[in-house]
Amino acid sequence: MKRILSLKVNGNSYEVAINPWQTLLDVLRNELGLIGTKKGCDIGTCGVCTVIMDGKAILSCLTLAIECEGHTISTIEGIGTAESLHPVQKSFIENGAVQCGYCTPGIVMTAKALLDENPKPDDDEIKDALSGTFCRCTGHIKIMEAVKKVSQPEDEEKSNV
Amino acid sequence: MSDKFSVIGKRQTKLDAPLKATGRSQFTDDVVLPGMLHGKIVRSNIPRGKILNIDTSKAEKLPGVMAVITHKDSGGVMVGPDQQLLCDDMVHYIGDEVAAVAAVDGDTAYEAAELIKVEYEPMPALLSIEEATAPDAPILKQYYEDNYADDLNLNYGDVDKAFSESDHVREDEFISYPSHNCFAELHGVLADYSLPGKLTIWTPNQTAILIQKGMARNLGISESNVRVCSLNTGGAFSGRGTVRPHHLIAALLSKKASRPVKIIATSDEEFIICRSGGKNRLTLKSGVTNNGTLKVIKADHLYDCGAYVETQFIMPTIVGATLQMLFKVEAFRYKGQLVYTNNAPYFFHHGGGLVPSQFAFGQHLYLIAQDLGMDPVDFKLKNAFDKGETTLNDTHYASCGLKECIKKAARKSGWNRKYGKLPPYKGIGIGCGVMSSGGKGMFQHDTSAAFLKIAEDGKLSLFTGLPDMGQGSHTTMAIIAAETLGIAADDITVISGDTDIAPYDVGAFAQRGTFTTGNAVKIASLDAKKQIAKTASEKLGVKPASLIFRDRKVYPKGAPDKAISFEDVVFDTLNCMEGRFIMGRGFYNTPTTKAALAYSFGAQIAEVEVDPETGIVKLLKMTVAHDVGRAINPLAVEGQMDGQVFSGMGQTLFEECFMEGGQILNQSRIDYKLPRPYEVPEMEHIIVETNDPYGPYGAKEVGEGPIACNPHAIAMAVSNAIGYTMKELPLTPERVLQAIRKKNRIS
Ligand code: FES
Ligand code: FES
Repeated sequence: MKRILSLKVNGNSYEVAINPWQTLLDVLRNELGLIGTKKGCDIGTCGVCTVIMDGKAILSCLTLAIECEGHTISTIEGIGTAESLHPVQKSFIENGAVQCGYCTPGIVMTAKALLDENPKPDDDEIKDALSGTFCRCTGHIKIMEAVKKVSQPEDEEKSNV
Repeated sequence: MSDKFSVIGKRQTKLDAPLKATGRSQFTDDVVLPGMLHGKIVRSNIPRGKILNIDTSKAEKLPGVMAVITHKDSGGVMVGPDQQLLCDDMVHYIGDEVAAVAAVDGDTAYEAAELIKVEYEPMPALLSIEEATAPDAPILKQYYEDNYADDLNLNYGDVDKAFSESDHVREDEFISYPSHNCFAELHGVLADYSLPGKLTIWTPNQTAILIQKGMARNLGISESNVRVCSLNTGGAFSGRGTVRPHHLIAALLSKKASRPVKIIATSDEEFIICRSGGKNRLTLKSGVTNNGTLKVIKADHLYDCGAYVETQFIMPTIVGATLQMLFKVEAFRYKGQLVYTNNAPYFFHHGGGLVPSQFAFGQHLYLIAQDLGMDPVDFKLKNAFDKGETTLNDTHYASCGLKECIKKAARKSGWNRKYGKLPPYKGIGIGCGVMSSGGKGMFQHDTSAAFLKIAEDGKLSLFTGLPDMGQGSHTTMAIIAAETLGIAADDITVISGDTDIAPYDVGAFAQRGTFTTGNAVKIASLDAKKQIAKTASEKLGVKPASLIFRDRKVYPKGAPDKAISFEDVVFDTLNCMEGRFIMGRGFYNTPTTKAALAYSFGAQIAEVEVDPETGIVKLLKMTVAHDVGRAINPLAVEGQMDGQVFSGMGQTLFEECFMEGGQILNQSRIDYKLPRPYEVPEMEHIIVETNDPYGPYGAKEVGEGPIACNPHAIAMAVSNAIGYTMKELPLTPERVLQAIRKKNRIS
């Protein structure tokens, strides 16, 4: 039996008829057309599907859509556009942290959630926050750099020396 | 970098990165067509047996099911010479395709697949090289006399003489276990064969043309009736180069249902669709003189290729070639044999299968250096090839930075201060590699074509058939065109990934993109430049040959003050009385009978720490030197180095498919240990530029060269740390602990 679900995503309100077993990932992609959030495994092992709910990074493939009513969700489409990039997106682009790009939306959202909560994380805190993500192309090396550079912009780094 | 170049050598961000970082780039699963169905494959759950009956009646009756297919529908469709698309009387591994369904949604397709009942009569399965090569083993394939699927024998020079003249001879056996590519994007396909006469498919790939040819050949239709759309590809790493069963199954389901059909693998199915690496057994025997000159290498290689031969026959070719292309020898013999088993058919893992053999080769050389009491760096320098030299298989090195890489990596990492002087459980190791920039041999030719057009606003559309799977090849091609025409890389839109539009290009494998397609793009750009120069020379009153194209301007040599803008010259060309349209055409087929004309070289130094309590290895630092000929885009070169160090580290230290009874036990990205952020090492990049005479602006590959170096470096560093040279890959904590125990028993 389908039921009507009201969802608030990226500041927009949606009403959709869904099956109770549908995941948030499924609803975002297939009902709302928000395909920026990718499916990497559907079983919680890769972090590719990460979105932010009430300020926390969550795996949308392990979250039932039905549980999301009344919560605030933001996805990769909601934080910046190619013309007006979020600082994390900008840093990923500039530092070569994007290769195939399949993991990128999930890792950008994970990094954003971290930096919103802790604007100056140290290396270990970044690794802890990103530990559930998975990037087969960049070896996470330039991703780490990109996240670090948002929290410690170049000029600040220099003045710290 | 001098200002000889205006675009090349600058750190160019990827042209498609803003789309990818904002979630706007599309992958196969993002494409939805009207009326699209979802497909699901029914697979064998036993490793070997007869099919007694397939009952599809219940599935067919399930509401929402639009097509069910078995071997009766696939008829004579084969995936390869020894592989039926859907099995009729026998299954050969756990995962073998038996039937498939298409339904209105994913849930219905799953339910229908469950309702298909297949009755089997299990037969004894052969699950290892040893079982399959035992004298009384049952023969797995009809028409074969044994279970050897293929072999390759190479023989150069007088091997016996070279051994008899050696002062020291050493033989070692190395074993490596299967591993998996774990792409970020699951395998998938969307096929639309609902209209007769044209099959369109969307699928992640690294060569649209080979997918197109494969679909046409296997389905018995004409190539022009197949259109392959590539979009973006979430990693390929040598594993997305050919047609696989799911592509053909989606096409047949679509034909039967007259609707588009999408099949996306599940996380565990992923390990069956693409098991990346069978067990290897490589025995190496080498002879050296007392002063450390390598004289001869003999290699015996056994490879578990699984139930079917897909592209595995390339493996012995690659291994056999590389073992004599790095260090000079007088004589070389290689015997490579692929062995059929009832494991999943092997498919390439990142590095084209070189990680196991480079691990073995590196450890073998390390043992020899220790026998001789020589420093491994000196040993490598003594035997390394130089520019202008030719290998035993007649490969000529027109450029070669191997020694420069070794020296620079050693200096930068402080090798002399560290080797043999580190505290217990800390180690250092060096690895070297060679890689071709091209892959002639798959076809008679190694062709790339490119064309381009320029619009009134001076912006350029570049058409190429080279897919970008993340390596940044589209940006590299844009840089080459921009440099040639004196414009900026972001003035260029690269159009690729649709075989109805794109020109011929063998594809992004064999590290041929930068070299081969790069040459084609350069030629196309020069062609267009000639057409623009005609107008500019008329306007400026100078010969076309003395025009400079740079920074979006055209001016006579030495007179930048006379510059006219590129945009204006283009506008005038397009709007002149004759109405000249600017069309650049380029075509490049490496003029050689060998695999390639250019080869890249690398050296890496790994520094590790081993925890003697747990056996866990931490790669602390990697110093990576790679001879790329010319770094077209240093940012992308570093990205390639990083990714390959990480992936090579994964394959060397962690990644293993645990097999039991033909079943992979750890079919998920958590159970299958792969490196994540905690494992990030410190990286030192050293780009060596040797300006290859044949490369576009001197460039060679960096697509898989670095990964040929690191298994070698990391394994040696671990062995150096624990004082025991390990011979089984990967160097998991269990194996490292075992090695430490063995070492303690010996000493
Ligand atoms: S898709 Fe959700 S964790 Fe992989
Ligand atoms: S960029 Fe390809 S998986 Fe991260």
